[in-house]
Amino acid sequence: MPSLNWKHHALVQALMTRGPLKEKDFHAIFSGLTGKSPGAHQGLFNEYLLNINKELSSCQFELRACRDQYVGQVCYGVVNNVADEQSKLGTKYTVQQIAFFKGILEAIAQDVIAQGSISNIEALNIRLENQVLSTQGSQLLNGPLPAAFRNFTMSQKEKTLDEFVQDQWLCCTPDGKIGLGVRSCLDLRGWFRNLDVPFCEVCNEAVVKGEILCPRCGLKWQNQLPKAEILDEEEEANDAIQSQPAQRPKRKRTKTNETHEKDAVGCGSSQSSVPNSDFRRITRSSSRPASQR
Amino acid sequence: MAGATQDFSQFDISKEEIDKLVAEVVRYVLFKTHQNSGCPIKREELVQLVTKNYSQRALPAHVINAAKEKLSNAFGYELRELLRCRPSSATQGRSTQQTGVAEAKSYVLISQLPAEVYKKYVEDENSAHLSGFTFVVISIVHLAGGKIPEDILWRHLKRMGLCETDASHPVFGNAKQALETLVQQRYLQKDKVNGPEGNTLFYELAERALDGPVSEKMKEYISEVLFRDDSHFVILML
Repeated sequence: MPSLNWKHHALVQALMTRGPLKEKDFHAIFSGLTGKSPGAHQGLFNEYLLNINKELSSCQFELRACRDQYVGQVCYGVVNNVADEQSKLGTKYTVQQIAFFKGILEAIAQDVIAQGSISNIEALNIRLENQVLSTQGSQLLNGPLPAAFRNFTMSQKEKTLDEFVQDQWLCCTPDGKIGLGVRSCLDLRGWFRNLDVPFCEVCNEAVVKGEILCPRCGLKWQNQLPKAEILDEEEEANDAIQSQPAQRPKRKRTKTNETHEKDAVGCGSSQSSVPNSDFRRITRSSSRPASQR
Repeated sequence: MAGATQDFSQFDISKEEIDKLVAEVVRYVLFKTHQNSGCPIKREELVQLVTKNYSQRALPAHVINAAKEKLSNAFGYELRELLRCRPSSATQGRSTQQTGVAEAKSYVLISQLPAEVYKKYVEDENSAHLSGFTFVVISIVHLAGGKIPEDILWRHLKRMGLCETDASHPVFGNAKQALETLVQQRYLQKDKVNGPEGNTLFYELAERALDGPVSEKMKEYISEVLFRDDSHFVILML
């Protein structure tokens, strides 16, 4: 086991005390501690993170980076890798608030056109009963729901939404919607896998806000909606596509890094064409990459 | 960890089981500290993590020691042991041996980083107001001789803009709850004393404020404030 010194500890404690940090802030701490910038001393920076993770892994923690899929900002954080009895102590939220949060996450993750966000109204209309039923199976169908779930008011939901944003589990996207916060991106990868959210072949991030690219030429996949839905959804899909930067055939093969920081899209992957009736599954279970890092 | 692991051979438990127990204790301490905002964790809680599945008598102590080592090596935290002190009115004229009650041990996490490094890179500026409040309150109690009636304490706090009846203070929210938090964190403890005019509630310093390094630093900071020419702090205490 490598031994860590006070500089490693300062990096870990900074993340644990202050929460997830933007790349520039984390790099500034590293530079201040070591006198070397990560950009010019990438090997040393990577070695620090590797040694930290070798120690943290014995306690099921990890120092990890992720890219905010709305503005392209990279963030670092210390995350918990195991959902056990101890980690249940780590939340200050109530059972109702957690159910509400799960409902919001599912709504965002299961969005067919992968906007990666939902409106405030959609979030407030999430029904907690659906979360209770989905976790407890059919046993509750014949019994009364706990009053606390039925009585989770709109005002409580609004207040809880603000808390989630403040604590960085959710965020306000540039277009004023509710999106996944940095903590969700860092902490909930396992949960995204369970929901069959595809993972990007290049950066291995969960594609919550993204596009589907052809694996051969890298061009955007043309949505094949059932005709009855084209009039309602085509405009939305076009808006989503037009807001993304232009795609180049080679983009899928290039590593996403700081040069793509302004690029708000996490790249996706696709399979060969599927019947129209399966369209709604293209952005999720049908679009798993052939291999993942 | 290697040193601690060798000591475990006497317990007839595999290394993997030991590592798992140590990780459980470390995780419990970290998550509980976050959940209860730094309130001390009772030793009994950590012991139970071990004894729920293992009955070897000396095992809990060894696991807790190994967890201390892991917290220091991996995170740079000291698992500081505190001995719970009882209110002074309960111990007057009696020693611990005479009371026959073992004092409960508890633990808090203390960063081992140099103070200037902690201040520059780790300190969360969003919680600076809580640190300031803690310092002011325990300084007042310290300057009052370690114990102060509740109404006198609030009189001093009111001079600094915080009233007992403030339920929506812009910084501290509920003022009474803010003070109660210091009791839960064991910086202070409450003591009810019978007097000629009935019961009087006192606040006195508890084990966390009396802990060596904390106490020394506090006296140092108080001296810095007291000996400043423009200090109004001395006037408040007269």
